Amino acid sequence: MNRVWTGIRANVSTFLRTPLNVVLALLLPIVVIEGWGQAMAGLPSMPTVEAIPIELGRLLGAIFGVAIIAGLMGLAQMISARAADRRLVQTGYPPRTLLATRLAALGGVTVVVAAVNYGVLWLTISPEAPVLTFVFLVLAGLVYAFLGALVGALLPRLFEGSLVVVFLAMMDAFLSGDSPLAADIPEFVEYFPLYHPKELLQEAMFQGTYTTGDLGFVAGYLLVLLVLVTVVFGVTMRTSGGWSA
Amino acid sequence: MNRTTTAFSIGIKEQARNYVLVALLVVLPVSFITLAFAVTQDVEMPVRTLVDGETATVMRGMPEVHGVIMTPITSALIAGLAGLFLMREAKDTDGRLAVAGYRAWQVIAARFGVLAAITLIVTGVSVGVMLVDFQPEYLWWFVAAMLVVSVTYGLIGMLVGAVFNRLAGMWLMLILPMLDIGLFQDPLFIQSEPDWWMKLFPGYWPVRVMVDTGLTTDVDTALSLVWATGYLLLVAVLAIGVYYRATQAS
Repeated sequence: MNRVWTGIRANVSTFLRTPLNVVLALLLPIVVIEGWGQAMAGLPSMPTVEAIPIELGRLLGAIFGVAIIAGLMGLAQMISARAADRRLVQTGYPPRTLLATRLAALGGVTVVVAAVNYGVLWLTISPEAPVLTFVFLVLAGLVYAFLGALVGALLPRLFEGSLVVVFLAMMDAFLSGDSPLAADIPEFVEYFPLYHPKELLQEAMFQGTYTTGDLGFVAGYLLVLLVLVTVVFGVTMRTSGGWSA
Repeated sequence: MNRTTTAFSIGIKEQARNYVLVALLVVLPVSFITLAFAVTQDVEMPVRTLVDGETATVMRGMPEVHGVIMTPITSALIAGLAGLFLMREAKDTDGRLAVAGYRAWQVIAARFGVLAAITLIVTGVSVGVMLVDFQPEYLWWFVAAMLVVSVTYGLIGMLVGAVFNRLAGMWLMLILPMLDIGLFQDPLFIQSEPDWWMKLFPGYWPVRVMVDTGLTTDVDTALSLVWATGYLLLVAVLAIGVYYRATQAS
């Protein structure tokens, strides 16, 4: 247990030791939420195109903001510590414990990022179900944090990894985010990472309820990502039988 | 082969040897821009632009307008991230080249050459994909504005890479072009005179040119392209200065 706490503490303090990261994690949500809300509300209404109400625009901005901040954080955390992680494994740290500390720290910071986004939202909108809204925002962040971690484990270079996470998030936000510009959305969009978290959030925010099916889907999504990250991380940390890369 | 050419060709080989990166530089613009055209509603929307020197609202198909915005956003995002990571790598390694006898301008020319090559590829692929679904009225004006905005973002990526660490840099280089080109300069969202602060963003002048030369039958934004180039030169001077300091310090 000591090892777990030491790992979590080390990961969190690495993040906090860079004040610019903390400042940006606090400031960017304000910019994204307000920018998204104002822009979406500015779309002129046409016969088949409806401007998005500013509240919904802000909510979509918050989901995207949480997702992208957490996703890139997950990616950076897996890649930047790769060499150190392998050395820790060689010194006897079990890979699963190591991964657990990484993901727990990532989860903790994601909760804080979601709280900041929720705070910004709360200043302008009164959610019907505040606790549910916050929890679903955390879930949206966790999905992308784990996705970023998976991409980081698979593609161990930041440039390529960031391209994948960034473009996935942008397509996801466009297709899952009720864009008034889009029509004929393909059915497979249901499997995009933000589709069900967005449904959950929208329902909790404006109606105070949630659909169990959406929640089950998000839980399943998180579980699958967790299994995949664990497997890929385990493979990349394997040190026996040769020199480590 | 002189030193600059050697450093440039090694930089290009290093990137080209990375097949995943090369594949992503092609696959991402193709999938993103194609998807944008495929799912956008085919309806006419009001677009505010210059017509015969006067600001006017014209009706244009939404896929075309959306394409005019999604194409530069794709190349600006990739060029910006390329600039960011080139600068971060440079901070780690280029100081050693200086110790080995390289002059600062030789290192700078080589690194900026690599960024220019990546930007050219991404711009070429993005415009090529766009041409499948949409042909701008004045292709070469459009391409010129695309190049200006992409190079500008590549250099901004370098500036960000000099000041911020990798994580903060990635956040900024995603959110800046997305807000700038995707929201603040998008003529679908901004239907009145843009606020003064929106005009300060790097995308303002080039996107004006792209909207005009992409969607109207005459060129009214030649001066905007001059302003965009001026903006680019200013950013280039800043980037060279910052790069020089960063490599000296390392």
